[in-house]
Amino acid sequence: MNYILRRLGFYFVAAWASITLNFLLPRLMPGDPADAVLASAQGRLDPSTIAAMREAYGLSDDPLLVQYWSYLQGLARLDFGISTAFFPSPVMDVVQTGLTWTLLLGGVATIIAFVLGTLIGVFSAWRRGGIVDSAVPPLALFIGSFPYFWLATVVVFYVGFRWEILPEAYAYGLGLSPAFSWQFISSVMTHLILPALTVVLVSLGGWILGMRNTMVSTLSEDYVSLAEAKGLSQRRVMLRYAARNALLPNMTSFGMSLGFVLSGSLITESVFNYPGLGNQLVQSVSLRDFPLMQTLFLFITISVLAANLLVDLLYLRLDPRVRT
Amino acid sequence: MGNDLRKGASDKVASMMAAEMDRRQVFLRGAALGAGASAFAATLGQTGYKASAQATIEGMVTVSEQQRQTWIRNFNFLIPGGTFLWPTDNGIYEPSMIASRITGEITPWLAESFEYTADNLSLSLKYRTGVMWSDGTPFTAGDVAFTFNLLKDNAGLSGAGGLRNVLGITSTVEAPDDTTVTFTFTEVYTPGLFDILAQNIVPEHIWSTIEDPVTFLNENPVGTGPFTEIPIFESNYWELRRNPNYWQADKIGIEGLRFPILGDNDTAQRMLIGGEIDWAGNFVPDVENIYVAEDPENHGYWFPSTGDTVHLHLNTEAPNTPFADVNVRKAISQAIDRTEIVNLAMYDYTTPADSTGLSGGYPDWKDPAHAAAPWVTMDIEAANAALDAAGLVLDGDVRTFNGQPMEFELLVVNGWSDWNQAVQIMADNFAEIGIQATVTPLEQTVWQTRVQTGDYTMSIGWSSGGVTPFNFYRGIMSSQTYNPVGTSSPENWARFVSPEADALLDQFAATSDLAEQQRISSELQRVYAEQAPAIPLFPGPQWYEYNSTRFEGWPNEENPYCVPSTYSGERLLLMTTIRTKAATTPTT
Repeated sequence: MNYILRRLGFYFVAAWASITLNFLLPRLMPGDPADAVLASAQGRLDPSTIAAMREAYGLSDDPLLVQYWSYLQGLARLDFGISTAFFPSPVMDVVQTGLTWTLLLGGVATIIAFVLGTLIGVFSAWRRGGIVDSAVPPLALFIGSFPYFWLATVVVFYVGFRWEILPEAYAYGLGLSPAFSWQFISSVMTHLILPALTVVLVSLGGWILGMRNTMVSTLSEDYVSLAEAKGLSQRRVMLRYAARNALLPNMTSFGMSLGFVLSGSLITESVFNYPGLGNQLVQSVSLRDFPLMQTLFLFITISVLAANLLVDLLYLRLDPRVRT
Repeated sequence: MGNDLRKGASDKVASMMAAEMDRRQVFLRGAALGAGASAFAATLGQTGYKASAQATIEGMVTVSEQQRQTWIRNFNFLIPGGTFLWPTDNGIYEPSMIASRITGEITPWLAESFEYTADNLSLSLKYRTGVMWSDGTPFTAGDVAFTFNLLKDNAGLSGAGGLRNVLGITSTVEAPDDTTVTFTFTEVYTPGLFDILAQNIVPEHIWSTIEDPVTFLNENPVGTGPFTEIPIFESNYWELRRNPNYWQADKIGIEGLRFPILGDNDTAQRMLIGGEIDWAGNFVPDVENIYVAEDPENHGYWFPSTGDTVHLHLNTEAPNTPFADVNVRKAISQAIDRTEIVNLAMYDYTTPADSTGLSGGYPDWKDPAHAAAPWVTMDIEAANAALDAAGLVLDGDVRTFNGQPMEFELLVVNGWSDWNQAVQIMADNFAEIGIQATVTPLEQTVWQTRVQTGDYTMSIGWSSGGVTPFNFYRGIMSSQTYNPVGTSSPENWARFVSPEADALLDQFAATSDLAEQQRISSELQRVYAEQAPAIPLFPGPQWYEYNSTRFEGWPNEENPYCVPSTYSGERLLLMTTIRTKAATTPTT
């Protein structure tokens, strides 16, 4: 109980620090916020328009503390202000269009890579030196060592653009509206294949290697030999005795990766023109849309913290040594 | 501004294009796989951008204009900053008249004629009858008066061009009857006419009920324009179809416009090359090889030099600089190799600037007598001689001024590749006349703050523009746009004031006689050519690519009926001219 309270306290402080940093950073940038808004227009504006913008955007000259208080109040109401790049739309309206797609793409890709990588890792450790062990991990590492941007661009260019095998952009076909119909769902699925595939390809190696190495050391444990001596089935020994215990470190990284889902798909989404939060983050930076940027950073920080907390709690359950 | 928007990403594009060049070889190897792949794609039914699963796209023009990650419904074009969707203004809504910067003609649109009173303190506009809003309500002069009063009453709304300045000297806007609108002014300012004519009009019966027009999203726009109906709006795609009540329906030859999301320049370019975009306003490097060569029959482009002239600004009030001396400014100008800049930095898409500073956007205004002053032609010897004469003695490789070596920062915006290349060439040029310029790329906000407050010595930058040369000269050598160093100055970064130009600008603004204005403009050009208030480099090209596979009637060099860029204010002329080709090949 004490442990949980300490952890909770730590996460509370971390969350507060990141929220406050998030508030301060844009205000520490050179130039006043008005200039940033003007720069978001990416060029020349008539002087009278600039005056109109200052008026419309209600750029605040309040003291920092007052601004900080209204910022906190806004957060409590999940009101993140008005996007300057999409003025006068609220930030949440903009974020909503991307949230689902990022969770879908990041979630699917991470789960597939984790499950697949772990299984391959288990198997190649079990049959050390076998065909799978000598072929798959090196191959996965080889592919994984390509710069992701390059790999994704090549895939987009050939598979999507030149050969037109699979859609290389968007989350679903143009002209479709979200609906619970086979047409829409199949469209979402085909549009998911390429971006998810590239993510799985480059991250697979890490999962395989992590699992394989822990598995190898677990296999030399006495209780595995005992299980084999008892004449249990190979399958049972591999999965229930060795893999189950070797899974612990991989589980931790899995939790962490889930936390990073919100931030991790930046390049994927850019290259595949996938309408997620990563794409929005890139755009909000280039358009200097500070309210949108702040909100996205906050989402990322909070999700990483939440994932960490979850892993901590999970450990409590899985590893009795932590409890003392 | 449009061209600036489309800078940057070109490097990435160039590398992608290199891959594109090699594609044929790879393609041979991949041919077998490719053939099977296409069949597979056909069964899947949707490949990338082409997919339009439901409504027919026959007669729909695919446009590449805004680069966004998501479409958000916003059709309020009165809010400043351009955050609304394209083409809300000059598309869904319409102006009184359209002044073309390529033909010099003024096309009557919602208004038929305008007339100033003898003292130029009152302006009346005559509007057409028979124009309908897209919801079937008749359009009247009352809507016009309402629009201008709405703008006047809400400081947070922005008008066309410099309209807010005009509103500041407007005392009343009234509609005495259904076809007449009368403006009365507190002072004479005739260049404001073009801002008034360009202002798009909103319907009174809808906007009068809006509580706060500054935060209004106008999600279901009612306009007088050719395209007003939005049958589908998704975050990745939307369509704008024909206005059932359009007042010149006989001029509309297409069904509407469609807008797939185009996240960045790379994506837009890929689609353009693939023939999936019909009308674009994108910067494309080496456009002949990259775009036209894909399909020379149908792929066309035209980059008219009607944008504003890019200048090298020399801060005449910077400490320890000799830039207040006109001979020094001219000598610096003579050192610049404009041909190389145009060639390398601008892909030969424009021409070197002349000594009027005016771009190609003033066909009826430019006076050739002042266009060929020697100081815009490269002549290193003459430049060195002039600097010697100005008392700037060489000390080693670098000249000195008041005992200080002439070593200056040359500012440029980080990432704007064409500008960066241009300043690099200039820095090399300046070394030959004993001035050491250090190229200093800055973040756009930082750069903007520094040039506007006068915290710089040399910087590349833009200039002002308009239908007449008035704004350009007012923005570059008038006391009206002058602010001392330390005070933010949106124009006149060189902090240069010519009393002669001031007098001429006053005369210009006081007359509504076109011939008289042209005579004065000629004088302004003379003053500019004599004074070199800033160093003109090249007129900005305006980007425009088209695909005539499905549509015809596109403007181009042979048929230059308007400035054709998507972001041009003359786009209604294009939208009401292009037509679907009679014998179209079936679309995908």
